[in-house]
Amino acid sequence: MTTCFAAPAVRASPPGTESERRVHVVQGEFHVTGDPGVVLTTILGSCVAACLRDPLARVGGMNHFLLPGRGEEAGGDSVRYGVHAMELLVNGLLREGARRERLEAKLFGGARMLEGLTDIGTQNAEFAKYFLQRERIALTGGSLQGDRGRRVQFWPASGRARQMTIEQGEATVFAAERRAKAVPADVGSVELF
Amino acid sequence: MPIASSLKVLIVDDQHSMRLLIRGGLQQLGFKDLEEASDGEDGLRKLVASPAHLVISDFNMPKLDGLGLLRAIRTHPPTSKTAYIMLTGQADKDLVQRAVQFGVNNYLVKPFTVATLKQKIEAVFGPLT
Repeated sequence: MTTCFAAPAVRASPPGTESERRVHVVQGEFHVTGDPGVVLTTILGSCVAACLRDPLARVGGMNHFLLPGRGEEAGGDSVRYGVHAMELLVNGLLREGARRERLEAKLFGGARMLEGLTDIGTQNAEFAKYFLQRERIALTGGSLQGDRGRRVQFWPASGRARQMTIEQGEATVFAAERRAKAVPADVGSVELF
Repeated sequence: MPIASSLKVLIVDDQHSMRLLIRGGLQQLGFKDLEEASDGEDGLRKLVASPAHLVISDFNMPKLDGLGLLRAIRTHPPTSKTAYIMLTGQADKDLVQRAVQFGVNNYLVKPFTVATLKQKIEAVFGPLT
């Protein structure tokens, strides 16, 4: 099953321009910009991309995360990693002039790519929705779950987004999600104490 | 050897989800007396009104960031001895060194496990029971 939010938010074919600069967001990373000439892109399977934006400051950003391991229980390492991934994006937006109370979000991804295995996609999707609820960030659109990979484009300045589903079994999605492993909790430290 | 349940902790972070995670971790470790604040100003106000043994605070916050809160706590006599553990989003050596100059007791790099949280608190207070 595919969960879609606010259908008009995902356009079938928004016009592109020659001068547009594409920034591809890979797993484990995020990008924030207020440049109206930038389109953020990503390829998702069971990963989730959160596209956040402050419509007044006209600044937006996208992340791309995969929760490590299984288990959605509050306080688990999986949730801890997800909260951190979302916090990096939110803090990046705040640094560029966004206000937390004005943020709105579109969520993409969380597909079930392989039958019979743990439904990691649903865990990612449920986490992302849980985070937005907790932080009182409005969910204004997107497309979650289903069984197909997605190519997603997000124009942060306007908030426009579009997705194209990818045929089942296409190697692109698996290649994209293999490119970077999810970072576990405890990412490193500097020795001063 | 301090008893976790006898220590009051103030959690300061502008993200509700992060405050919940820290609260959950502390409760797993036996802490019971917990208070939350949503930014540095709120944290300082709450600490002055109701002293705590330990402040666990984010660095990156609106109004008053983690370093500003630390400085304010250290320069205000009634709160100057409060233990302070700072949360950072990355292993930023410059930031940690500045925090050390202001008298931070320890720091935690996000995302962290409950075991690391325990280890950092024990480095300040000694083994918890």
